[in-house]
Amino acid sequence: MRHVECRFEEDVLSAVVQSRWPERVDPQLQAHVEGCGICSDIVAVAGTLDADHDEMLSAAVIPEAGRIWWQAQLRARREAAEAASAPITWAQVAAFASAMGLIGACFGASSTWFQAALGSIKSGVSKFELAAFVSSVAAAVGHAAFALGLVLIVLLVPTALYIALGRD
Amino acid sequence: MFRDATYTDLTRTEAAGEETAAFVMDEETFRGFYERTARGLWAYLVRVTGDRALADDLLQETFYRFLRAAATYESESHRRNSLFRIATNLARDARRRSLIRAGSILMGERIENVPSSVDAAVSERNADLSRALANLKPRERAMLWLAYAEGASHEEIAGVMGLRASSLRPMLFRIRKKMAALLGRKPEGGAR
Repeated sequence: MRHVECRFEEDVLSAVVQSRWPERVDPQLQAHVEGCGICSDIVAVAGTLDADHDEMLSAAVIPEAGRIWWQAQLRARREAAEAASAPITWAQVAAFASAMGLIGACFGASSTWFQAALGSIKSGVSKFELAAFVSSVAAAVGHAAFALGLVLIVLLVPTALYIALGRD
Repeated sequence: MFRDATYTDLTRTEAAGEETAAFVMDEETFRGFYERTARGLWAYLVRVTGDRALADDLLQETFYRFLRAAATYESESHRRNSLFRIATNLARDARRRSLIRAGSILMGERIENVPSSVDAAVSERNADLSRALANLKPRERAMLWLAYAEGASHEEIAGVMGLRASSLRPMLFRIRKKMAALLGRKPEGGAR
């Protein structure tokens, strides 16, 4: 069976990272390492990485703690402001869409030609009469440009508003 | 963006009377923690990513995410492990992004020869190490570094890497053997 651990590996690792290897260790441990694949790998790898670690710590050029702290503060503030403004934007869009819907409803309730067109459509659909349907469609088409404009206002303006505010 | 603000700008903004962002950790505690961990974390990021500039960015991002995490920690080592876990995840995400971009040089394929020492022996050792590390996967580099440069326990490494502690010993054994062979100390030694 293939072993993946040795009971001396902790001792060997300690000796390496404490810079005691190989001069200041028990000769018996040295002799063991020479014949142990696991421990000799530890000496090779840990010795190299530990030395490199020390080199890198002394060579590291890192920003000052105060700079990191204040940059984090600024960024946190900015992100908090962005997060706070997002729901407001959505609320604004919803309110605008509602207002447009209300205007459309008022228009529908007060416009005689619109009501007449709706009535024609309703009767046409209920009677399944082609002639009535065609006449109601014709009546609606007469004001199609206006109706289309209304639909565009209700649907597209809130979207455009959201995109514009979102970019800010 | 983050690194563009100058210290003067920051001081001026603060002087303007803006509120202080609420981090769980206070500035004094952060300063102490940063001084104790930043260099080691930077070394870890350089060796895992193989890219010094990326390590600089990830260092700042790691501390920012750490501050924003709003977590409380039982001990200094718990806090430190959390920091390294954030860094490990960021390095992994950075690698994924580099893979998606499919640049000519993927992260980790080019390992920088980091400390520029005038000592020829040290420079040679760095070159050997850089070449060897370049042949390992980022996760393998991370595990080796945590185990043998940072001196982390198996439980700590498992926590940082998101692995089970019980599976760590055989994984470390395999990676260590691979690394030893790459370093040229031993061609391929078996276990006892």
